Amino acid sequence: MAEIFIDNKRFEYDQPTKVLQFILDQGLDLPHFCYHPALSIPANCRQCYVEAGLPVFDREKNAYELDANGDRVIRWFPKLQTACSLDATDGMVIKTHVTSELVRRGQKDVLEFILINHPLDCPICDQAGECPLQEQTYKYGPEGSRFEHKKVHKPKRIQLGPRVVLDAERCINCTRCVRFTQEISKTHQLTIVQRGDNNYPMTAPGHVFDDPYSMNTVDICPVGALTASDFRFKARVWEMASTPSIDLTNGKGCSVDLWTRDNLVLRITPRFNPAVNGHWMPDSGRAAFATLNHDRVDKPLVRLDGEAIPTSWNNALLTFTERVTAANRIAVVGSPHASTEDNYVFKRFFEAAGKGAAVFVPHVIPGSGDGFLLSDDQAPNATGARLLGLAETQAAALAAEVTAADLVVVLNDDLVGRGVLRAEDLAGKTITFASNHNATTAAADLVVPVTNGAEHVGTYVNVDGRAQRTIPAKETSRTDRRLNLEMSSGRLDTFGTRFDNWVSDLNRIDCVPAWEFLTEASQELGTGLYYESARDVLAEIAARIDAFAGISYERMDDERGIALLATNETVSA
Amino acid sequence: MATYVFTAEQLAQIEAIKSRYPSVQSATMPVLWLAQDAFGHVDADVQQLVADTLGLPASHVHGVATFYTQYYKEKKGKHVLDVCTCLSCHISGGYDMLHHLENRLGIKAGETTPDGLFTIQSVECLGACGYAPMMQITNDVFVNELTPEKLDQVIDTLKKGGSPDFEPIGLVNNRETA
Repeated sequence: MAEIFIDNKRFEYDQPTKVLQFILDQGLDLPHFCYHPALSIPANCRQCYVEAGLPVFDREKNAYELDANGDRVIRWFPKLQTACSLDATDGMVIKTHVTSELVRRGQKDVLEFILINHPLDCPICDQAGECPLQEQTYKYGPEGSRFEHKKVHKPKRIQLGPRVVLDAERCINCTRCVRFTQEISKTHQLTIVQRGDNNYPMTAPGHVFDDPYSMNTVDICPVGALTASDFRFKARVWEMASTPSIDLTNGKGCSVDLWTRDNLVLRITPRFNPAVNGHWMPDSGRAAFATLNHDRVDKPLVRLDGEAIPTSWNNALLTFTERVTAANRIAVVGSPHASTEDNYVFKRFFEAAGKGAAVFVPHVIPGSGDGFLLSDDQAPNATGARLLGLAETQAAALAAEVTAADLVVVLNDDLVGRGVLRAEDLAGKTITFASNHNATTAAADLVVPVTNGAEHVGTYVNVDGRAQRTIPAKETSRTDRRLNLEMSSGRLDTFGTRFDNWVSDLNRIDCVPAWEFLTEASQELGTGLYYESARDVLAEIAARIDAFAGISYERMDDERGIALLATNETVSA
Repeated sequence: MATYVFTAEQLAQIEAIKSRYPSVQSATMPVLWLAQDAFGHVDADVQQLVADTLGLPASHVHGVATFYTQYYKEKKGKHVLDVCTCLSCHISGGYDMLHHLENRLGIKAGETTPDGLFTIQSVECLGACGYAPMMQITNDVFVNELTPEKLDQVIDTLKKGGSPDFEPIGLVNNRETA
């Protein structure tokens, strides 16, 4: 196995690797801006300088040449090397800022150059707190600047596209965004214009940066030059808590982080998962933060004289059980948008009540996928519903069934809104579980508010058969971070108090997971279903359904999701 | 907005340019030159035309066009007078020459005369420090060792539709003027 010495420590490697990537893989630090593991390597920021050398090999003796102390003689490269573009070689000796004064000086001077025209507007910059330039200047940079002249001024607040805003003065021309559009999204919409100290990234004149993946450039921008229009000036990064979760707007189920403050999801960013989405996610998935917060069904609603009236949970529960008991024929409509746990308990509830088998209608829009991170399937859990044994049905068949039934129960699926059923089909005989107001809730007699992916633990199986789970990021009126150990808790959640001025109860929605409501309904009907938690439900699924055998939240967390289907396609990072 | 199209002859030239390089990308610069010769400038519309003709991303062509100052990103006068005001020319009176031109034509550096005949630009070093002060006319002829009289002559020649000759420059010539 090949060896490499970094700061007098010996490391071994077997795969060809670049020195910077190797150093980062060891959990060591080396400042860099332009390098990104998924993009090409231009080595233009010059920040990852190291001293590098190779041992002198004596061919005649077939051994390394040794000095008087018996150490290998090292022939150093005459100048500092950029570690990002330097191939690791057997026996190579690297000195980083840890051991080399020259490297420390080099990093400091490069930062001084980079900062010559960079505005000192960190206090009003959105990137502050998660800014590689800010952090690395703090750790490795000079204390001040010797540059006393006027800084170069460039365009500010340029709306590059519908979702991305450019501040060209903050740009350090690392070209990560340009390389992203060239190599990953392949729209080629960005380029670097002008030259020298005037250059900055831009679209061609008359072109709009409307790349469906445009907001990934915001994530990889190492400064505050590219910011997201929907998140600008909304929150400081250190005020938010980030919770690992998954994207529920598409069948691909990208791994994401939900960024919350005071029980509002403020933005969604991709989380590295080589088996699903690599470093990226589509813009459409990020826009979902609004539906997680707003237009939510808060408290159960019953329809009286055509008007939806908020009612008590007791009343909702009794209405639900009465109608289910009274009905002769129930159309039981599960949902590819609901979690596996919800679908499972939903199906079991009606089986136990002897009221019919659950079906579901896949939400597929043919041709809407792009073969990358957007699939034709618009629902996060169609595969899960299928594996649970819910019967797959289509619009016409479901409409016939709904017409024949005297009660329709819909699990969190906007069947009217997505054109499967008409509002008339449902009028007067529908109960729906829903997290947001939509055309289906408008047609229902009883709406039971249920949690969404940001509020419950749930397993979702994506189009490739990979089971991933959500972790609650938002509290509902019925959950509490400190009592519910499933919930994530950020710094301010952990160390703040209920009485901090940034805490309010305004953003807590009165809703429960569907399985919880159905458990209570089952107790009411005496049909014997009882689950303490989503973990209970998943344990039962794992025990009873072969496809889910051995599945657990711990495994999903540790293995970044579990492949449930034998043929598991993945995208390359 | 004017619409620009390449003639069949120009398209044939572009094909010939493309055949010179292993990738189409390399043809960007010569084709931009061809377009600038044809239309007098490479503004946004011309850049788009070049990108469409070559089948390259518009952003790439835009990036190349903005990198080089010799590509005119907007309509300029028929004659573009690039007066060097970099160090050597500055010392030898480059700014005096620039101001003389400005007074003579009644415009400032960066502007175009109302009749569309002249544009004056103050530019950085053109690599002719030995013959300072100097200017370049429309990315072409260098006019060296400028004096106000010489500038007036050049303006008159250009107005009459002529163009100043390339000046023989060499050690002998240089020594004589020194």
